[in-house]
Amino acid sequence: MVATERLDVGGIPLEVLRRGAGRPLLLLHGEAPIDPGAPVLDLLAADTRVIAPTHPGFGHSTRPDGFDTVYDLVHLYLDLLEQLPHERVTLMGLSFGGWLAAEIAAARSSRVERLILVDAVGIKVGDRETPDILDVFNTSPAEVRRRRWHEPAKWAPDPDALSNEALIAHARNRESLCLYAWHPYLYNPQLARWLGRITVPTLVLWGASDGIVTPAYGRAYCARIPGARFELIEAAGHHPEIEQPGALVERVRAFMPS
Amino acid sequence: MQAWYLNENPYPFVPPDVLEAAESVRGSLPNRYCDPKIAADLFQEALDEYLLCDDIGINVVSNEHHAGINCLLGASPLILGILARQTRNVRILSLGTLITVRTDPVRVAEEYATADVISRGRLEIGFVKSGGSEMASGNANPIGIVDRFWEAIDLILKTLAHRDGPFSWEGKYFTHRHVNIWPGPWQQPHPPLWAATGDPTTSAELGRRGIVNVMVFRTAEETTRAWTAYRKARAEAGLPEPGPDRFGHTAFVYTGDTDEEGVRVGSKLLWFLNTALRSAPQYGKLLPGAVPAALAPALYTTKPRPGVPAAARPAAGLIGITAEQAMAKGLMFAGNPDSVYRQICEYRERVGPFEHLVLASRSGFMTHAEATKGLKLFANEVLPRLREL
Repeated sequence: MVATERLDVGGIPLEVLRRGAGRPLLLLHGEAPIDPGAPVLDLLAADTRVIAPTHPGFGHSTRPDGFDTVYDLVHLYLDLLEQLPHERVTLMGLSFGGWLAAEIAAARSSRVERLILVDAVGIKVGDRETPDILDVFNTSPAEVRRRRWHEPAKWAPDPDALSNEALIAHARNRESLCLYAWHPYLYNPQLARWLGRITVPTLVLWGASDGIVTPAYGRAYCARIPGARFELIEAAGHHPEIEQPGALVERVRAFMPS
Repeated sequence: MQAWYLNENPYPFVPPDVLEAAESVRGSLPNRYCDPKIAADLFQEALDEYLLCDDIGINVVSNEHHAGINCLLGASPLILGILARQTRNVRILSLGTLITVRTDPVRVAEEYATADVISRGRLEIGFVKSGGSEMASGNANPIGIVDRFWEAIDLILKTLAHRDGPFSWEGKYFTHRHVNIWPGPWQQPHPPLWAATGDPTTSAELGRRGIVNVMVFRTAEETTRAWTAYRKARAEAGLPEPGPDRFGHTAFVYTGDTDEEGVRVGSKLLWFLNTALRSAPQYGKLLPGAVPAALAPALYTTKPRPGVPAAARPAAGLIGITAEQAMAKGLMFAGNPDSVYRQICEYRERVGPFEHLVLASRSGFMTHAEATKGLKLFANEVLPRLREL
């Protein structure tokens, strides 16, 4: 079943991909919306009800005028959580979506039952002269590619093989991420202080070869969330959901209540 | 017609093997390759050229770029301050402070007002949208540039014109609760305004506002497209037709004793296009927002696709251009005085009358002596005839 719906969340149009049945899992994407054909989606959907929205402006989605900050995204998803028919959901965020998920969990939405962060960004860990997050806009594409993937030759998309439509979506993804997160670059200076408010069980998963945000950053992130557990996923870079979907979903399944 | 002299003060003395190996000659090239002693000489020469212009009736232009071999003028207002005091006669144009990377337009207005006062009303203010590596070196978001540009202009103009004590500005991009500059500008309500753009949408807005639209290294086709949009926007808004004083063209210009000398020495100016524009893709075509997302298929692919329009940023298509090509496109006017005059007239025939000709007449390895000679010949032999137009 592939179904992309268009929801209205407090007047904001939101594209949502749904897959599977069972315990609900709200999946917030990173630099690109979840590909409807991605193996991770079917693996998750085997025993969960996946709800995967597209952040406004990403992919081919629309973005309302003046909707241009992480503050807007966080409130949009707080609204969505209240609008969904589920009492409680597992909130899972990848990369940039991990930042959003951490913000939502720190806001203590009563609808969040569990939190899963995967190679998340969103906080400042290092000193003022040590960037935590690779600047994917100001760094050469070859270096970004090298640091993004465990096996770049296998997983980095070949632009020449992509459709025009996919390339336009890719450009819109970059524009949108840039709009939301150029400065401070991919983090909220205040968020680290409030991660201690997160009271739900939390799992932090990290690609062992991630060169965009390293496992050391992931451990520091995890250490600030009370009771959170950190697990590495071997043979994966910044996108375990693409390079190791099986291992990722196994960890998710083990973490979810039976 | 009036002439304006622009020397971007580039720094060409980086070893060729370093330039060859660098991912980009702007944005990321370490400044250890810029010897401050050589830079000091270049600044002194450029300022001497501006003082020569003051004597021979050519207005002067300062601009601004950051972190690259193409331009050492990192702060236009700093140069304006020197020119405001050291020149006595000519108009001084800032083209311009990069208002899309400056965090507080009120400070820009304050600097402009001060330069206008020191020069006793000889300042003209030019606005440029900027982009590319300037976004990295200026730490500025490349998304939203156009809206930020116009809000900065609105705030600068209100700051310059306001005479009645503090006012508050709480815009989308800029907030400043207590705006009250001393001194205000000499020219009330503000100095004449220019903007550099070849983008028809921006030109249309310039038309509605009556701002001088100057082209910088644009072909006749691009120029015509922009100026047509300018005129059309004015007509649609019920505004009077713009005079030639609303239009300007920037070209490489070199006047020699002979055609051979003019073209030979003038060709050195093309260093700017052929060497100083080479920018890493992340500062150029792949910078988010640099070109519309709809053109992405041409950006990311290595092979052309049928039915997909090209997506290069304007100047990128000029890299590798020859003197003959540059002259054919109206990007360069070079030769003996008669030839230079004729080429300018021919270009004017193609794009319509324009009042302002900005002379990019020193760049790359052209020497101070060569630049000085070319400027004098232009002022003595070409400019008097252009003034008649």
